[in-house]
Amino acid sequence: MAVPGHRLDRMFNPKVVAVIGDKGPGYMWLRNNMPLKEKGGTLYSVQLDEKEIPGIEALGVKNFTSMKEIPEEIDYAVVAVPRQVSPYVLKDLIENGAHGAGFFTSGFAETGEELGVQLQQKLTEMAREAGFNLVGPNCMGLYLPKAGVRFNDGAPVADDGRIGFLSQSGTHGIMFTLVANALGMHLSRCASFGNAIVLDVSDYLDYLMRDDETDVAGMYVEGVKNGRKFFETLREACKRKPVVVWKGGQTEAGARATMSHTGSLAAPQSVWDGMMRQCGAITTNNLDETTDVMQLLTKAKRPTGPRMALLAQTGGQSVSITDAFAKAGLQVPRFSDQTYASLGEFFNVIGGSYQNPLDMAGTIQGKMETLERILKIVDDDPNVDAMAIELSAMFAARQWKKDPATLDATLDALKAHSARSPKPLLVVLHPAHEAEYVGSIGPKFHERQIPLFQSFERAAAAMNRVLAYHANR
Amino acid sequence: MTFQTVLGEARAEGRTLLNEVEAKSLLREAGIAATAATLATTREEAQSQAAAMGFPVVLKVVSPDIAHKSDVGGVKLNLADREAVGQAFDEIMANSKKAEPNARIKGVAVQQMAKQGTEVIVGMTTDPQFGPVMMFGLGGIMVEVLKDVSFRLVPVTDRDAGQMIDEIKGRPILQGVRGQPAADLAALKSTIVKVSEFVEAHPEVRELDLNPVFAYPDGALAVDARIVVSEG
Repeated sequence: MAVPGHRLDRMFNPKVVAVIGDKGPGYMWLRNNMPLKEKGGTLYSVQLDEKEIPGIEALGVKNFTSMKEIPEEIDYAVVAVPRQVSPYVLKDLIENGAHGAGFFTSGFAETGEELGVQLQQKLTEMAREAGFNLVGPNCMGLYLPKAGVRFNDGAPVADDGRIGFLSQSGTHGIMFTLVANALGMHLSRCASFGNAIVLDVSDYLDYLMRDDETDVAGMYVEGVKNGRKFFETLREACKRKPVVVWKGGQTEAGARATMSHTGSLAAPQSVWDGMMRQCGAITTNNLDETTDVMQLLTKAKRPTGPRMALLAQTGGQSVSITDAFAKAGLQVPRFSDQTYASLGEFFNVIGGSYQNPLDMAGTIQGKMETLERILKIVDDDPNVDAMAIELSAMFAARQWKKDPATLDATLDALKAHSARSPKPLLVVLHPAHEAEYVGSIGPKFHERQIPLFQSFERAAAAMNRVLAYHANR
Repeated sequence: MTFQTVLGEARAEGRTLLNEVEAKSLLREAGIAATAATLATTREEAQSQAAAMGFPVVLKVVSPDIAHKSDVGGVKLNLADREAVGQAFDEIMANSKKAEPNARIKGVAVQQMAKQGTEVIVGMTTDPQFGPVMMFGLGGIMVEVLKDVSFRLVPVTDRDAGQMIDEIKGRPILQGVRGQPAADLAALKSTIVKVSEFVEAHPEVRELDLNPVFAYPDGALAVDARIVVSEG
């Protein structure tokens, strides 16, 4: 167990999962949770509609027509029943001694309707009185890959996830999960928590910060019920591990949208900004910035300073990469004399340059040993804290397509360098005119855990965020 | 004056806004540098208080019913001697009564006339979600027009206060521009931290504005202070 004794521990490490009220023909929730069985857990269904039962049993899932018949305590339940039924289901869950449940059921206070508000009030009172871990309602619930619990059937069930993610939005929770996985970053746990009537983001964060299976925490949040509690939890969490906060509703118009999405009251964004910096959180504005910074946090060595060595393929790009990093607030220092002397031994200065930035395609000419030599020399420079290298689809895609081994060799060289060096190495590959091909080779980078960025600006912004996080600790 | 005494008096009078004499004496007790301010109810009191304080002084009307003191002729600056103080006292009382015949006038606040410094603002508001929030900014148009301010939640540490100062766009102004000396950043930080401690110790304080605080090369001084407390 990841955080023994924590209120959420059983729910976050479930062995017995019940899906309540799933329906055919898709049986989405049962299908999502089939991996649980492969991982040795027990999956039950509760469905009293006789028409649905054959379909459930065809999936190999034991169905009960009443929760009372389930012979053991439920660790986590997925509730997908009509809203009017939800209080009765909650009552049964409490009687079962269940350790938590995600309520996919929606139609509560977020509708603004009287019935919805009343039902939400009823659920809140019942769950609070029983101290029941109610996730949601109006949410996708939990994604626990190690246990085999999922909120989306496209999500993998890897055992080695190190990123925890919390989301007030189901879409952002699922999308972060899928995109992170596509980038070679697995999750430890994810909670989509919707209306947060009992458990709020602070409760989940309290778990993630203590969780030894989570190295980095992230969240999408639009507002919090108890601002002081969130402040205190976030401040503590940031002392323990990096926490990335993607705050939705930053503009006045956006804040109006959050009101109708999750009913979040908006404290001024300037207060949020001050609070998040005070806590030492890493703040982002969108999914891309969030996954970029996650890549740097999980795939690269920890940066110790702002002095960048910039390795571009050509002259124009060497200027652009320098502007991008300098604008982001990073430094592009002169190399040491030793570095200049070493590079000068072999660098082709006609159509190239080994100032910082480097303009190196004419020198490398596809030779891996030359690339490795440059990486080694620049990496040893005491004026350099971190490196960013450009790969060029414009120049190299044709070669890589013709002879994929050359791409593999390049990536192996980068990976081997990163493994040896104590300094972070960022790789930038703009899709250029080869978006489809560049997309297709992404997995080669991700399986090697090479942090890959689509533009100089995105790489620079991620670098700046991670540096600020460490400086602020 | 203890906080409880001042709070009790304000509540007994149905006020949530403390007057400047009350606000400043509480701040000074809390170790926050603010110009000395005493309440004079007669011409003679004003004169002797001014003499004890040291000239020049400022006189301002004290009335729960007059919000904009300058507009009614209720403020007199840079009074250099006893005679000027006496005359100013009479004029302020007359002007105020004329402008606001029904106003309750408690007297006149006698305050040290501070020498000009770089104007900054230190404030606190209460956010419904996050509770007490500290604010820092440069005074005048920088805050009014450019909204160039930074925020942190109470309690604010010394490091937080340093970041609040460093975050504002007008930060170079505190470094000293056009021959102006650099502001004493340690004193500004200390002011922010002490105000944070003050509001943390007194949750009844809902709003607090030190506007302006004069930042000097050596020290910082709150020249105007406004404190709003919760209803009893």
